[in-house]
This record gives sequence, structure tokens and C-alpha cells, in this order.
Amino acid sequence: MPRKEINMNPTVVIGLGNRLLADEGIGLVILEALARKAAEFPAVDFLELGTGGMAVLHALAGRKTALILDCARMGAAPGTMRRFTPDTVRASDVPSCFSLHEGNVLDLIALARRVGECPERIIIFGIQPETIAPGETVSPILQSRLPEYLGVITKELNALLT
Amino acid sequence: MSKTLSIQVNHVTRVEGHGNILINLKDGKIEKIEWQVPEAPRFFEAMVRGKSWQDIQTIVSRICGICSVSHSLVAIKAIEDAMGISVSKQTDYLRILTHYTEYIESHVLHVGYLVAPDLLGQKSVVPLVASHPDLVKTIIALHRLGNEGMELLAGRMTHPVTLKPGGFARLPTETELRAFQAKLKAAVPQLVQVAEAVLALAGKLPDFRRATEYVALVEPGTYTFYHGSIGSSDAPAPVPVRQFESVVNEYVSPQSTAKWCKWHRDAYAVGALARFNLNASFLRPLAKKTAASFGLKPGVCNPFLNTVVQVVETVQVVEHALELIDDLLSTGIKPEPVMVNPKAGEGAAAVEAPRGILFHRYAFDDKGNCLKANLCIPTNQNHANIQKDFEAFVPQILDRPPEEIRLLLEMLVRSYDPCISCSTHCLNVEFV
Repeated sequence: MPRKEINMNPTVVIGLGNRLLADEGIGLVILEALARKAAEFPAVDFLELGTGGMAVLHALAGRKTALILDCARMGAAPGTMRRFTPDTVRASDVPSCFSLHEGNVLDLIALARRVGECPERIIIFGIQPETIAPGETVSPILQSRLPEYLGVITKELNALLT
Repeated sequence: MSKTLSIQVNHVTRVEGHGNILINLKDGKIEKIEWQVPEAPRFFEAMVRGKSWQDIQTIVSRICGICSVSHSLVAIKAIEDAMGISVSKQTDYLRILTHYTEYIESHVLHVGYLVAPDLLGQKSVVPLVASHPDLVKTIIALHRLGNEGMELLAGRMTHPVTLKPGGFARLPTETELRAFQAKLKAAVPQLVQVAEAVLALAGKLPDFRRATEYVALVEPGTYTFYHGSIGSSDAPAPVPVRQFESVVNEYVSPQSTAKWCKWHRDAYAVGALARFNLNASFLRPLAKKTAASFGLKPGVCNPFLNTVVQVVETVQVVEHALELIDDLLSTGIKPEPVMVNPKAGEGAAAVEAPRGILFHRYAFDDKGNCLKANLCIPTNQNHANIQKDFEAFVPQILDRPPEEIRLLLEMLVRSYDPCISCSTHCLNVEFV
């Protein structure tokens, strides 16, 4: 049941997170900055999915490549960005299954695979937060490294597209 | 019975805790039954203070990734109430349509993603793909339809950008609406397939009944999700939305960081079951037929049937959406520039979020900056009722094995489709 849309590009960059919880929103901050360069990447869709949970499944369907930008607790120093794939990590929290509101992107990728709607290539860029608390801006340490994040992700995109 | 039992289901995920279930039984005597909600406060009411009227719905839409349209719409209605803004029939219908796309997404997901695994004996939806591939694919297709409708009407898949006080920042074209209508029509057989699948499994839902007060929006002649005043199964007449604080009577419970609510009794329920009990006579024909196939009648008080009513409501919103689009297309979509002059005032509004009636109140200064806010969400209104259900249900199932008791209580919580928190979803990972 692959999704076919006339205007859908084979590569998608997805930003996840919550802008109102400081570093939780780093994926969206990076996505916004990248989307300003959208003209340089006409074959890429840039999607802000916030905390939209299952929307990720639909955004993945029908694509060949997906880059996911997200805040991630990885036991690294605050501000560290790591590139990984879904197969190289496991979720260290256990969902309660009480609520639809606990969308774990790794579970959604697993579901996408099971239903045959998963891109061939998924790359996750996780950024270790310093602060997750009410606040509309990311921590200075993450903000100061934004150019570095953009450089790495842009390089990845260019490599994927050539 | 001299049974001694201790059940503690703690779910601490992400930064906040989710709901906990605590049951202590000693020598056959119940010592403690608690539904605990230990999640951290989120301060949205403080966050919007000082913000412009133009930004409120954008901020509060972040309260929830599943019901972001409901939060946007109720905020916009409250702003319009405060500033004396009226909207056109076109805006009204398009908002209701947008709201319905959220219902399709939310209800389908709850039924397919959280409840179906319980009824089919699986831990989650992922293994269901192997055992029931057609059902899972239908659920995903229906959810995707809601998602596409939301992209068209709200401007993106979640956290709307087109909904504004006074009207829409972007209107769908007639061609787009016609295409969406065709997809909705084509989805009706899929809806019937889901209803039949749930019907085949509904016998597995526990037959637990507890007399309950049900609270929902009511509007004469309509199975309403958007307009109306506050109705109750215990009240002779509806209460105006502006008086919602006298309905919710929020109070603090030591077992919860979320506020609890009560009205005529020591608890009340909101959500699909409440809407059905108050408005069932106004269902559209196919929705009415679907309700009848489940034997549902107003007065139903088994909380486990909330899920079944969600199936009926999904049929209802698709049927009504088809009619609304016909109506919109018959007059054509007209450009309507949004003109708002902010002014000082206070306003309140309600909509039915998928999980139940949702209230917002705001006050603004003469520049349109927010002075205060009061938000009361459906799940907070259900917490006391979940506790009362636990107290009535546990004595009925004490003879079951502990694992079964635990599962039944988890299923009871899930039947309320709680919106415990989606404020964060930060990945917690270990490298393998």
C-alpha cells in the first residue's frame, strides 16, 4: 500500500520534538534552519512533525530515504550529535501502552517495516539535550553548535543525493 | 476469601511519569486501590500570559500531538468570544471538517493501535501485522486519510497553521475538497470492515457496568462535537459554556499531580460514551445502524464500550463530512480575508476533543495580549471516574489470577483513551 503523491520527493527530512520544552525542540530548530536552504535541495521534502506520533509513519511511506532529527538521551555530553540507524540502537524506556501519546519513533519505524512502507535508508541524527524543561529556546550550548549540526546534515544530504 | 495480592503497575516513560495502578489486598480485604497520575505540571496557562491573541492557538496546539486541532479550535473560539468576533458559515463548516479529520485519526488509532492488541491477545500493534495484516493495513489507511485531510485543511499533519481567529489563513480549493470527498466516500467500506472486526471481538470486552454521570456538549438536533452548551445525564438543563468552572469543580487529589473534577456526583465521565449517551438520537443513518449492530442504546454505562462508540463516531464524522463538503461545494469556496481588531475582554469556549469535552478561557488587555488563561482538559475530568471504576471493578474480579487482574485494569484505563502526556517524546536510546 505504498503512498504515491505527485509532489512527494523520494527523500524526506523529518524534524521531531516540542519547541516549548527547551532542548526537546532541537530537531525542529535544525529543521527550520535546513528548510531555509530548501531551494538548494529541490528533491527533498522538509517536514516538521512535532510530537505528531503516527504522522511519522505516513511521512516515511513511499520514500527511499529519510533523515530524522530528534533530541535523544544517549549518555553523551550535552550538545553531542550522533548519527545512527534504527538497527544500531534500542529504546531504553518501556511504553505503558496506556496512551496514544507516547509515540516512539523506533516503534513506528518497526511498524513501517512490518507493513512494507519503510524507506530503504533511515538515518537518525540524535542530539543530546542539556535541559528539558519549560522554555521556548534551546540551551546556549546547543544553539552555539547549530552551524556544526547544519554542516554535518547538509553534507549527509549532499552525499545521499549524488 | 483470604487472598493477599499486591499489584503495582508503574510506567515511568520519558521525563514524566504516566499513570500508575496500585492495588493492595491483604487476607481478602482491599487495603488500597488507586489510579495515580504522577506526571509533571506543564504550565501552559502561565506560558500564554503576555502572549498576543494571534499566537495563543499556535502555542496551545502543542499541548497535544493527537488533539492539536481541538486545542487550536477551542482557543480560537474563546478568543472570538472575548473579542466579539463572528465567523461565516464557510469558516464554521471548514472548521468542523478540520475537526473531523482529527477524529478520524484519533479514534481509528485508539481502536486499532491500543485496543485491538488487547482483544487479540497481543502486546502491541506490531505483532498484529503478522496475525491480522488486513486489519492493520486498513487502520493505517484510515489514519492516513485523516492525516491527508488535516494536511489539506489545517496546513500540515499536526499542529495546525491555517486556523485563525476570524477565519482561515489558507482555504482549500473546490478541486481539493472534491478530491478529499472522493477519498472519504471510498473509505466507507473500510470503516465498515473495522466496525465488523470490532463487533466480532466486542464479546471479549468485560461486562462491567457502573451508574455514571456523563457530561458532553449538547446542541438541539445535532450529534455535536463543536457547538453547543454543557449537558449532563444528571442535569435537567444544559449549562452555558461560559460557566464551565461551575461544572468541572476542579480539586486537588493527593494521588495525582493533575487536577480532578466532579459535578453532581463524586466523579463524572467525558468522551465518546458521554457524547453517545446525550446525543445518540442525532446520529446519521449509517452511524445509527453501526450503533444498533453493537446493541448500543443511550444509558450504556460500561466504560469498556467507549471504544465501540469511537467506531460509531468515526462513521458519524465521515457521513457528516460528506454532507458538509456537498454543502460547501454547492455554494463554492469564497475568499474571506480575515480582519480582526483586537480588544480587551474575557471569553470561554468548549469543543469535544476525541477524549471528551475541552474548555479554555482567556482574558486579554486592549492590545490583545493575554492576561490569564484557564484550560481544563478531558482526561483530567476522567481521572476521578477511573478511580471510581477501579473501586467498583476490582471487587468483581478478585478471584482472577493477578496477571489477568492487571490486564483488565490496564484495559479499563485504555478504554478511556487517556491523554496523559505527549509533551515530550525525546528518544531514550542505548547503542547495541
